[in-house]
Amino acid sequence: MTKRLADALFGSVYYLFLASFIGFSAIPVVVAIVLSFDARSFIGPFPPTAFSLQWYEKFLADDYYYQGLATSLLVSAIATVASTVLGALAALGLDRAGFRGRKVLQAILLSPLVVPNVVLGFGILMFASRLGIIDGMPRLIMGHVLITFPYVMRTTAASLVGIRSSYYEAALSLGARPWKALLQITLPLARTGIVAGAIFAFVTSFDDVGISLFLSDAFTFTLPVAILAQMRANLDLTIAALSVIFILATILIIVLLDRLAGLDAAVGRGVYGR
Amino acid sequence: MKRPGLTASMLWPALIVILPLLFGPLLVLLHESLKPHIAGRVGGDATSALTLENYALLAGPEYAQYFLDTFRIGLISTVLALMLGYPMAHFIVRRASPIMRRILIASLIGTLFLSLIVRIYAISMTFGSLGPLAGFSRLLGIAPTSPSVAELMVVLGLLNTTMPLVALTLIGTIQNINPRLEDAALSLGAPHWKTFVQITLAMSVPGILSAGIIGYAFCISNLVVPMLVGRGFVLFVSNLIYFRFSEVANFPSGAALSIVMMVISLGIFYGLLHLVRTQWQEAGK
Amino acid sequence: MSSITRRTFTQGALAGSGLAMGGLMAPGMIRPAVAADRLMVVQWGAQWIDVSKQLLTKYQQTSDTQVAWELHSGGAAAVVAKIKATWPNTQYNVLSVWDPVFRSLMAEDWLVPVDENIVTNLKTIPDQFIQKNAAGQKMTIPLSTAGAFWGYREDLLPGGFESIEDLLKPEFKGKLCVPYPINLTGLFIVSCAIQRGGDEKNAEPGWEFVKELAKAGQIGEICTSNSEYINAMATGQYSVGFWNNGGWFATAKNFPVKIMNRMPDNKGFLYNEGFCVLKGAPEKAAFEFANFFADPANNEIYNMNLGSGPTQPTAKTNPKLDGWYYAPDELGKHAYFADFAYLGKVMNEWNARWEKEIVPLVRG
Repeated sequence: MTKRLADALFGSVYYLFLASFIGFSAIPVVVAIVLSFDARSFIGPFPPTAFSLQWYEKFLADDYYYQGLATSLLVSAIATVASTVLGALAALGLDRAGFRGRKVLQAILLSPLVVPNVVLGFGILMFASRLGIIDGMPRLIMGHVLITFPYVMRTTAASLVGIRSSYYEAALSLGARPWKALLQITLPLARTGIVAGAIFAFVTSFDDVGISLFLSDAFTFTLPVAILAQMRANLDLTIAALSVIFILATILIIVLLDRLAGLDAAVGRGVYGR
Repeated sequence: MKRPGLTASMLWPALIVILPLLFGPLLVLLHESLKPHIAGRVGGDATSALTLENYALLAGPEYAQYFLDTFRIGLISTVLALMLGYPMAHFIVRRASPIMRRILIASLIGTLFLSLIVRIYAISMTFGSLGPLAGFSRLLGIAPTSPSVAELMVVLGLLNTTMPLVALTLIGTIQNINPRLEDAALSLGAPHWKTFVQITLAMSVPGILSAGIIGYAFCISNLVVPMLVGRGFVLFVSNLIYFRFSEVANFPSGAALSIVMMVISLGIFYGLLHLVRTQWQEAGK
Repeated sequence: MSSITRRTFTQGALAGSGLAMGGLMAPGMIRPAVAADRLMVVQWGAQWIDVSKQLLTKYQQTSDTQVAWELHSGGAAAVVAKIKATWPNTQYNVLSVWDPVFRSLMAEDWLVPVDENIVTNLKTIPDQFIQKNAAGQKMTIPLSTAGAFWGYREDLLPGGFESIEDLLKPEFKGKLCVPYPINLTGLFIVSCAIQRGGDEKNAEPGWEFVKELAKAGQIGEICTSNSEYINAMATGQYSVGFWNNGGWFATAKNFPVKIMNRMPDNKGFLYNEGFCVLKGAPEKAAFEFANFFADPANNEIYNMNLGSGPTQPTAKTNPKLDGWYYAPDELGKHAYFADFAYLGKVMNEWNARWEKEIVPLVRG
């Protein structure tokens, strides 16, 4: 009897938490969608009293966001490719390395995760200026590679934990060349981690504000910087319209990713996967 | 049968790119933090002798309070994110149908693509004083006019970002727990809650802690959430740094604050990581 | 350094750091920083950029100067920090800022004295609006007279208040919306100091007053930008505030607003906004551009939707701003011209003091 009661209690807490998760994630999205059709010219009480497409029109008429979007896509793509290659290699290398100080090196390479982005952003701005780099694009790429790299390294390293190095050793003992064994045995096994890392890297880069705020320049600014500048200059509901367009684009990206890579690949099936 | 040559050739690219990108800026900041700042001027004074004054000005209980607030609010948000994120990850791995699983994973990744600024903005519209859920704070016993509402908004903002991150990370952890262990316990008559707590949850502890540490690092270094919903008085150390760099142009003080924050964050991060590694070494394998 | 050599250098630096991205630095990816007739102008967003783009279209009918805009992403002082980090290599040519920022730009010696042969419209702008360097050269092209004032939403506070001393009363708990001290360069604290018989150089009474407000829980929100202020006032949660004319003007579009700039025991602050030209800019193009905006007819258009007054005496002021500014004979009694050179010097100290003494009280 108490067992059933306890289980019922457990079940309700479990589903309450689940519902809260979904609620906290979904409600703001719904609110943003509704407000994007608000006909009022200022941010008033919810729900809106009349609806219009004015914020969409305003958004579409402003090329400021497009410029930001173009820069963001370029910076994030370059940073993702660079840090995926560097991060995956480093994780594989560290996994194999036997030298002393391996842990320290790993800790150092992961540290951009912990150092506040504001600190890195301003540091890179001054560092780049001492090197004579004053254009936005190379600065942004420097910063974005630095902050996305640890994600790939971390997820790749995590996925390698489950892979016995004996597989690799076995391949070698069967006469495979080291590079081939690495490419054909270890790499496919680490794929989950690498794909997840790449997705995290892209998302982190695409969403970054702290670094880009400092590294953007007059001609080269990322979308979040454009949004923030607009918000700070004039917070109107254009941003809600932008959210909705973001949501639509996100759905598209997700469906595409699912078709191309299979989203399950990003999280993997685990050792005991069905 | 290690191949040092191969290992090294895999490590070098990262070392050559990342180490200069990391240490270059930090050394520049360290140098800047030792320069005196002349009132009314921009940045540090390059001609005067180096000084520790910028650090001395930060000593004192007032600034300690900002650090404590940052770490405290970050902790609350991370713990909540873990509490809500774990059941979600568990549901996806153990209970969801294949289609449900796909939808949920897609939504989790999808929320990450949704710009943080956009999400924070949506939260402030939802839970803000004009939003449909403005009464939420009352539910928690916080009067809508109380300054604590701003803190609640910051927690909600951080939670909204950390939750999907944590859930996605935990999926991997839970997947690597052998489901047969749970089945065995249940078939032996153990109640669901006990199986969940003593087997699933207990075996996920290293994963939970590692997800928590990442989430925590994300929370305490955040700039945008307090900037947008902190009402100007819930300020993280990042905000103080930002003000110094970009509004008062006191780079030396901002750099000093950066160095202090970095040292403390790294201390916390690697301290916790070390603790997890030594305490749960076996379970982590 | 020309853009060609810099590009080569950048390539070298990146290749040298192992990033091997030479290929990505193809022509077109990095745009030339300064072309002969291309201007980079920093302007505020919202109404400022809207009207500027409108005037630019008109300007480009007679000039082939290309203009790229950048928006201030925080206080106008933020751009100063950005310039410092790369000086003397800056992409910015013309900045739209206000008096305190003019002062700090001049302190850094970054501005070019105005060429009055090109900016012929400067002649008719009253001399006291123009900032001058130590040698007495004119350094700025003022386009607007603007101000910072106390005010309230009449729909929320029908009775209003007589003096800001009243704001200590319990009914104003959590009802005040005020600027972060570095916004508006500390004018909020100066206003509180004036209330208690001080001024910017004797600000102690002001700090005491702010502490009383903070301790009593009157301060509901501390804003760091115009949009934050406009939205905070739109929520209806706050009825009283201290902000610049831009924030009040936007609020007044949607709600009845009463500006309290004629209180017997306090003052309203006046200052100028406008253009200045940075060293390294294509000077002729920059000054011609600025001169176009300073033309009386354009100056009228420019200020009509900003909630600020034109600097050209012949330009008309937006009729909605009736009473926001002062008649010449009122200036002595109600207007205050703060010493921004002094305020610029204490800003850093005031910011630290605000963090240490005021924020903990507001958080309660």
